[in-house]
Amino acid sequence: MSKNMLEIRDLHVSVEDKEILKGVNLVIPKGEIHAIMGRNGSGKSTLSYVMAGKSGYEITKGEIILDGVNILDMEPNERASAGLFLAFQYPIEIPGVATMTFLKAAMNAQRKARGEEELSTPDFMREVKQAAKMLEIDNKMLKRALNVGFSGGEKKRAEILQMALLKPKMCVFDETDSGLDIDALRIVSQGVNALRDANRSMLVITHYQRLLNYIIPDVVHVFSNGKIVKSGDKSLALELEEKGYAQYDESAA
Amino acid sequence: MYQALLDADAISIAKNFRSVGLPTRRNESYHYSDLKMLLDNIGQIATTATSTGEFAFNIANSFQLQIVNGEVQILGDKPPSGVVISTSNGGMSEPNKDIIAQLNSALTKETLHIDVSENLETIIQVDRCFEGKAALHNDGVEIYIANNSSATIVEVFDGSSEEHLSNSASKLILGKNAKATHIMVDISSKKTRHLQTVQYEIEQGANLHSLIIHAGSSLARTQLFANFNGENAHADFAGLMLVDADRHSDITIDVAHKVPNTTSTENFKSVVRNQAKAIFQGKILVAKDAQKTDAAMMHQGLMLSDDAQILVKPELEIYADDVICGHGATCGELDENNLFYLMSRGIEREQAKAMLVRAFLAEIFDPITNEDLYDILAGIADDWLKE
Repeated sequence: MSKNMLEIRDLHVSVEDKEILKGVNLVIPKGEIHAIMGRNGSGKSTLSYVMAGKSGYEITKGEIILDGVNILDMEPNERASAGLFLAFQYPIEIPGVATMTFLKAAMNAQRKARGEEELSTPDFMREVKQAAKMLEIDNKMLKRALNVGFSGGEKKRAEILQMALLKPKMCVFDETDSGLDIDALRIVSQGVNALRDANRSMLVITHYQRLLNYIIPDVVHVFSNGKIVKSGDKSLALELEEKGYAQYDESAA
Repeated sequence: MYQALLDADAISIAKNFRSVGLPTRRNESYHYSDLKMLLDNIGQIATTATSTGEFAFNIANSFQLQIVNGEVQILGDKPPSGVVISTSNGGMSEPNKDIIAQLNSALTKETLHIDVSENLETIIQVDRCFEGKAALHNDGVEIYIANNSSATIVEVFDGSSEEHLSNSASKLILGKNAKATHIMVDISSKKTRHLQTVQYEIEQGANLHSLIIHAGSSLARTQLFANFNGENAHADFAGLMLVDADRHSDITIDVAHKVPNTTSTENFKSVVRNQAKAIFQGKILVAKDAQKTDAAMMHQGLMLSDDAQILVKPELEIYADDVICGHGATCGELDENNLFYLMSRGIEREQAKAMLVRAFLAEIFDPITNEDLYDILAGIADDWLKE
């Protein structure tokens, strides 16, 4: 067993011949929370999409190892079943797909992929109720179509609900704080913190330090121009908040 | 067919048929469904066949009837209170002047009549079965919903796996303030060629929900003619074409708002894959005096392969000056972002696709409140997706 949950080695990614990620190296040991901070357009979201397996990105070099397994050749659903979860910056609204139907399909698909039995409906309902209560999600929301008519905060809470139900070992949060007011931020952070575990790692992508007051990282990485340019402890986030990203733009240039 | 018409004593139609023949693309309403090209083998008139004794759908609290190879079979059940079932010799009275409707009327041996004079809870189901060897089938059903009465009628087209040609007709007359849900489902074998003519007469204050589903037949064409004859009436016309392989599906509808203050919606969807072809043609006529008409037409297509085709044509003919009349069409593929989102949660690509197609179809199935019926119809779509 690897002691590292995630290892990204010299990852280069292009979109339409333009290089976006220029040699990302990142190691997250089991049980740790890391944060990636960087300004808009630095390639942070690309990194999260490439990890989750979105099409349209050309990986020209490098590897992504999840708990000892290279996941780059896997379909997005296989990566999910292997334990990766991406909380989207903009969760997708899908009219016509009931939230509960979706949750059950996702949970059972992952169980099936791992060779486990399907959940019974009562067990499924119980799990959803418990997780929903923790995240202050009411039943009405669960009865709607997936993310349709949800406010920004509700969408983010729904993402954390999915995470709580799917119990991934590696969680990636892409700008989860964007569009959240203080109350929603607190609820979402509580949900995330409740899932902290020695066998679960997290990567929090953000460009504000604010979220890191609620979800305390073990390591903070500064992302600029397609790679990590500096790593440090949580005080690095405070320093960034104070001095801005400009110093790193120069060092990267 | 000519000889069959002579045998049926339909001399003038026989003459007309001999000189004009089947409709071709020169005929506007058959522009994309040239029957002369598409129907290469018409076959002999179907002979009597016995019922298999089984119904295509089994809905709780339903009254079921069968027409097998054009002959009405009363299978013993007594009709519910407020329903009178009868038959008459020959085809539909006053058929539409369309040649296919004329041929149906001339060649149909027996017409089934369903008269409803209450608010009916029981669903009436009519199965039309095309049994035995490949043949030409003609049948007709006339439904009358009396003033202030209501009913749900389900017609199913099904049969043996042969190269049948079925030419079916349905007429539904809605009396004053009558209400009807009329659902027509073609699940005929994929060798069958299926033609249907539907005629609606909608009187004052009446309310109609019509739904056509094509999920069988190598060639399926439903033509629908609706007349608003009384004010304050409303109709929702809906349809779904599920088409794969090299099959051909066509829904052509012609709605005439003849009097003031009537409203209609048209909500049609098609899902195509392989080299399949789906066609929707919608005509709305608003007569000179039909002020305050509100009619909206929509067709949405979903392409699951690059080789499939969806052809859509609206036609508005408006003679009144104070009306709202709109038409729209969309056509697209499944959204990759939606697919990625579902897959990122562990759902396999094929299942994710099926979920999105079902989501696309929700508008068609959601208005169906009877749970059995909803499950059956949604199940037809699910099965089609799994094939």
